[in-house]
Amino acid sequence: MLYLDLTLQGLIQGSMYALIAVGLTLVYGLLRILHVAHAGLFTLGAYIAVTVTNAAGSLLLAALVAVPLVGLAGMAIYRLLYEPILHRPPFVALIASIGLFICMEEGFRLVFGPYGNSFDLSPVEGSVQLGALSLQTVEAATIVAAFGLLGALAVFAGRTRIGVAWRATVTDPEMAQSFGIDTVKVRYLNFFIGSALAAVAGVLVALLNNFVEPTMGSVPSYKMLAIIVLGGLGNVKGTLVASLALGVMESFGTIYAGHIMDRDAIAFLFLVAVLMVRPQGLFGKA
Amino acid sequence: MRFGGLLLGSLVAAATTLAGAAYAADTIKIGFNAPLTGFAAADGKSALTGAELAVEQANASGGVNGKQIELVVYDDGAKPDQAVPVAKKMIGQDKVAVGVSGSYSGSTRAAAQVFQDSGVPYISAYAVHPDITRAGPFVFRTSFVGEVQGRAGAKLVGEMLGKKRVVLITLQNDFGKSLAAGFKEKAGDYGIEVVNEYQYSIKDRQFGPIVSKVAADKPEAIYATGYFFTAAPLVKQLRAKGVDAPVIGQEGYDSDKFLEIAGKAAEGVIITTSLDRDSDQPETKQFISAFEKKAGFGADMVAASGHTAIKVAVAAMRKLDGDVSDPAKLRDAIAATEDLTASTGSISFNPLGEVMKAVQVQVVRDGAWHRHSVIDDTALLAPPAK
Repeated sequence: MLYLDLTLQGLIQGSMYALIAVGLTLVYGLLRILHVAHAGLFTLGAYIAVTVTNAAGSLLLAALVAVPLVGLAGMAIYRLLYEPILHRPPFVALIASIGLFICMEEGFRLVFGPYGNSFDLSPVEGSVQLGALSLQTVEAATIVAAFGLLGALAVFAGRTRIGVAWRATVTDPEMAQSFGIDTVKVRYLNFFIGSALAAVAGVLVALLNNFVEPTMGSVPSYKMLAIIVLGGLGNVKGTLVASLALGVMESFGTIYAGHIMDRDAIAFLFLVAVLMVRPQGLFGKA
Repeated sequence: MRFGGLLLGSLVAAATTLAGAAYAADTIKIGFNAPLTGFAAADGKSALTGAELAVEQANASGGVNGKQIELVVYDDGAKPDQAVPVAKKMIGQDKVAVGVSGSYSGSTRAAAQVFQDSGVPYISAYAVHPDITRAGPFVFRTSFVGEVQGRAGAKLVGEMLGKKRVVLITLQNDFGKSLAAGFKEKAGDYGIEVVNEYQYSIKDRQFGPIVSKVAADKPEAIYATGYFFTAAPLVKQLRAKGVDAPVIGQEGYDSDKFLEIAGKAAEGVIITTSLDRDSDQPETKQFISAFEKKAGFGADMVAASGHTAIKVAVAAMRKLDGDVSDPAKLRDAIAATEDLTASTGSISFNPLGEVMKAVQVQVVRDGAWHRHSVIDDTALLAPPAK
């Protein structure tokens, strides 16, 4: 029973990772940029959720504001930060991204204060009973959101005309352009969807901890890099599997190896172990 | 032209020196390092506000022999590598009479060594690492060493609450580890059986796996070390899972922010700390109300500690009638502090520069911190003396 509970907790954590990491892997797949500032967008989503909920009293409204707004912020980052330096070597964009991320963290601190913010009234209470296992409603919502949204994304990419154009641009941007696909629009779409998913994760984490703080993106900022490498850079399905696997590894590791190493060490040990056997990641092409 | 430039340069230099000397004569500087950015910025802001309040109060009551006190503040980001240059700057450039740390153990230890090597007194307001005062005789601490507070926690759980099957949830840094070590050291004396100990990192906010395992352990009490930003989500998640064993925390919980984040789950949480919200001491009562007025939010342990450390420094300078030209004399004056009434209790130092005072036990009732009890067992609370 305990093992089942720990597995479930791992899947919850993994779902959270997946929602954040997918945006990162999408950006990498399209532009070969390691978009570290993505973790700042996750934080932004959480802050908007708490602020709007406290002001307007409606979590639904807050989520409806936070998700598209963060999506737009992601597009703005592409337009203002990455587009002007696209012709430079990739490390330039990486350094710019790290710089932006630090600015965002300190910006949150200046705007919202160093103490972190909470919901005035906890908007979601209660738990869901799964047989003998009990889950907080928010935890259940996290799993549903991750699978639902990423499933919808798969359908969108696979079945719609825009999705086909998107995949074509990822595979071969020049060829896609010569077939009349507007690759710049594809990039905006890419940033919008990836950032909006990170905002969803931000809203869920804010609910789960009842706490958002300026530095809440710092762990995701580097752990997501491990996950997208593990999943095979640019591979969405791989990222999902890698997130869930890492979540479950961490869940058991925290309990049974926690006195030797912390959660992050477990995650990176797992990464090293996998890369030794499969240098291209779990689902990367050799 | 070149000569003219040189002349102008030396004139400016001379003027600056004069101005500096004149300025220095009117004020006495106290250096203050705290994390104002980064993950510990919340505690840094509280500590700084507490320290500023102490300086304002001292200046309002005549300063030190007519001289005003000036607080020279630097951000150390709670990082040792930032604390060293900051300490050197305070001593070499600002010529502070005394330094006060409103920061965590890592940076405080690093800065303490610089102050000791330069022979300038340094007071740590709330860092817990035992090695801080071991830097040498110029270093003091006005808060509890981690182990001491951990021992008080064992007495609280085993004897006062009568809970014997205990699970430890330990924060993996010097704060959590030294508290847990003190707790485990005395656990046997109070008949406590430590069923399990789980570790977490300061970055963790989601404790799903630990909460599941603790639910399966069914302990009578949980001794969880942490700060309000880790402990509040932990307590909230424990209660959401239906774990209703009492949670015993420490001074790291001691903030209104803890109550805000944990909400209803905070009810019944008991902590060991150094600020008594229900104190009838005028000094403490006055601090709590003055802080709230200045800061716009409730006082916490860190703020009271920053306030206390400055108060100790000012009292020592007043003993010397404001003549702080000899740092060794100032050190001796600080060391001789006896039963000084401060917001965190009555302050005296042992030979190592460790404070000797009672541990305040607070409990959350009706959404606020209240007095639970006081532990003043001097044998149990004796800080290390060498």
